[in-house]
Amino acid sequence: MKKTQLILFTILAAAASASAKLNVVATLPDFGSLAREIGGDKMNLVILAKPTEDPHFVDARPSFVVSLRNADVLIDGGAELEIGWLPPLLQNARNPKIEVGKPGRVQASQGIRLMNVPTNVTRAAGDVHALGNPHFMSDPIIAKAIAQHIAQSFSALDSANAGFYEGNYKKFEATINAKLQEWGAAMLPFKGQNVVAYHDSWPYFAHRFGLNIDIFLEPKPGIPPSPSHLTEVIAQMKAQHIKAIIIEPFHDRRIAEKVASATGAKVVDFSQFPGGLPGTDSYMKLIDALVSRLGAALK
Amino acid sequence: MNKFILAMLTISPLAIATAQDAAPTPAASPDVEGLRQQVQALTETVKALQQQVKDQQGKIDQINQQSAQNPQSPEPSPIAAAVASPSQTPSGSGSARFPTEDASVVSSSAGPLTSPAPGVTANAAAPPGSFPTTDTSVVSSAGETSPVAPAAPSLTAPITIGGGKNYMNISFDGLFALAYSSARDLNQIEVGDHDPQQRGFNARNIELAFDGAVDPYFEGFANIVFKLDNDNETSVEVEEAFMQTTDLPFNLQLKGGQFFAAFGRINPTHPHTWDFADDPLVHGLFLGPDGLRGVGGQLSWVVPVPWYSQLILGVQNGRGSTGFSFRNPGDNGIFFDRMTTDREMRGLEDFVWVPRWENSVDLSPTQVVLVGASGAFGSNDTGSNTRTQIYGGDFLYKWKSARAEGGFPFVKWQTEVMYRRFEAGRGMDDTFPVAETFHDWGMYSQVLWGFKKGWVVGVRGDYVNMQDSRFTDDPDRQSRSRVSADLTWYPTEFSKLRLQYNHDFLQENFLLPGRDVDSVFFQFEFILGSHGAHKF
Repeated sequence: MKKTQLILFTILAAAASASAKLNVVATLPDFGSLAREIGGDKMNLVILAKPTEDPHFVDARPSFVVSLRNADVLIDGGAELEIGWLPPLLQNARNPKIEVGKPGRVQASQGIRLMNVPTNVTRAAGDVHALGNPHFMSDPIIAKAIAQHIAQSFSALDSANAGFYEGNYKKFEATINAKLQEWGAAMLPFKGQNVVAYHDSWPYFAHRFGLNIDIFLEPKPGIPPSPSHLTEVIAQMKAQHIKAIIIEPFHDRRIAEKVASATGAKVVDFSQFPGGLPGTDSYMKLIDALVSRLGAALK
Repeated sequence: MNKFILAMLTISPLAIATAQDAAPTPAASPDVEGLRQQVQALTETVKALQQQVKDQQGKIDQINQQSAQNPQSPEPSPIAAAVASPSQTPSGSGSARFPTEDASVVSSSAGPLTSPAPGVTANAAAPPGSFPTTDTSVVSSAGETSPVAPAAPSLTAPITIGGGKNYMNISFDGLFALAYSSARDLNQIEVGDHDPQQRGFNARNIELAFDGAVDPYFEGFANIVFKLDNDNETSVEVEEAFMQTTDLPFNLQLKGGQFFAAFGRINPTHPHTWDFADDPLVHGLFLGPDGLRGVGGQLSWVVPVPWYSQLILGVQNGRGSTGFSFRNPGDNGIFFDRMTTDREMRGLEDFVWVPRWENSVDLSPTQVVLVGASGAFGSNDTGSNTRTQIYGGDFLYKWKSARAEGGFPFVKWQTEVMYRRFEAGRGMDDTFPVAETFHDWGMYSQVLWGFKKGWVVGVRGDYVNMQDSRFTDDPDRQSRSRVSADLTWYPTEFSKLRLQYNHDFLQENFLLPGRDVDSVFFQFEFILGSHGAHKF
């Protein structure tokens, strides 16, 4: 009897807290970070993927179903990045509030012009995303756009705090605008330089800051580096005097280090996600870290 | 479109009228000469214009060809194509240091911020396509809707695979095995219908899968399996074909059609998702070579507690070989050596009822545990009033690295235990010497270690204890055990190569002799089409 009471109490408590604050679920930590900028303490935030793991392959663990079932807002990429794990979770969560088209669903890629949309899709080209490259959050201007999307969604669902969300967005926008001057200035000396990446996650970052990131350790997206491909990369790097190889926390660092030692380049730890690098618990700090790390390596 | 046609219809009679007015006008010769000259001049002008258009078209084609030839190159990428972007022309101006034309950014040093998105108000959800930045290198062109929005509603549009622009996801899966076994009757050793069944090559599971949203209320799923038997004859199985609700309140979901019963962990899944090339013994021997599946309905409820907890109740006809321990007439009307009744349904008790309760908690951010209990209750065909009850418990533990790439490395431990109580009657005409009740139980436990991206090594132990029958020498009633080891390489998510070794012990019982069997399988698989998501 006492147990039942306890369970009932827990349920009621959960229900009560649900009505007080927006329950926000973000599939990836970068979306979560934007949600935090906008929602502040007026929401409960759950981030599904860990900042250090490969966002293409996240386990659809049952506890995520519980988070999604209780969600008022779901922020996802919507460009096939989470296609391997989000659909069965949503199917199981049965939450009409976060269906596509409802204000509770923020699909970050909505309205964004994705880069490198393949003209025809074939898996012979590796893990190609039919809708275009989904790693768009490393462009701060795109991030700003998504932040406004989030603010609009929050305001629509919680109109009492609309002013708060709008104010937070304005703050975020102003910070990004100011920071862009700073980041732009820091990256300007390296304009047009070539950089090597492990996986093709950085076209938006490269575009924004005037770099060329067109050589990858992976021979094709999602295909592990082969010795013959690496030999080719090393030759290209030597010919073009490339100074930096950027890798993410879940990539095999030893491979990057081998290539680095053969070419004299530096391995630069990068991450798409706040929290993926030490001391980057917010989006601003992440881009700060990326810019300063890359700047240091290219100097 | 309609308006345009209307306009055309209005204009064309007018044009005809004016032309008719012009034609019959009697003309004096100097006037005609003047007109002729005018016409000639006009003709020349038109010719010159035509030539210009032709030249321009040629140039456009040339450009299009160039951009089509190297779509991967960064130059013609949609963003780089925003030539107005100052990034292409580094300027000395401090306000335009980076590549954006977003007024809110470039003007920020000059003056106060202006709202960059006209028409977007604080209280309205963003309509698709309206966007909070004016930077055309970021936003999709006006009028273009979200990339994930469904295609324009045209019934004649072709179904294309991928890109979310189709109403149905289609995929094709081919699963093959090359087998060797020390036993000539490999089909007696392997218990699953999709397992390797003969020495040499096997193609037991070639399937087409379809799924998609039916409408705002239902989603549909179908799985059609083509199976080549040992004589290379094709048989077709409608493995699954069901619809389920998407929008019921209170976390409820209803499902109807032909589907795998939600019993344990192996039964509801398709063979190509298994971690070994063959079916665990207990699953094949208790729930049947094809698993427990049938036409029926199912209600499930995600219980509103802070952890994951789901209650499921399924009901199926449970008739035939896919209702193996239930109303199954057996091969040639014989099951467990009894002549079966194969009777029509009498009432609710002749359905198979399949309840399940599953719970899951995260032990840590990298570790998950899932525990489930299932049951399957119904009648069987070995007597006029004989019943079967199967109880199952399952356990799954999974660890996955916080720095997983492509889902690796991981460790997964999965165990299922089943107990079957089977009332075996005296057959159709009470000719079998005894009615007896079998208490059988069995389990398997397997550990999979994904040690490197794409590579998995696994071990599995199987055990099934069949209670001795006093009068039957049915090989289905022989106690079994097996140890297996396998090594799998997934070049990508869409292909798989697997080498497996099995050692089987068939235990001596009342009538059957014991024996040992060694088998080796080389399994290979490919998947085409839509990207299937991975269930946990």
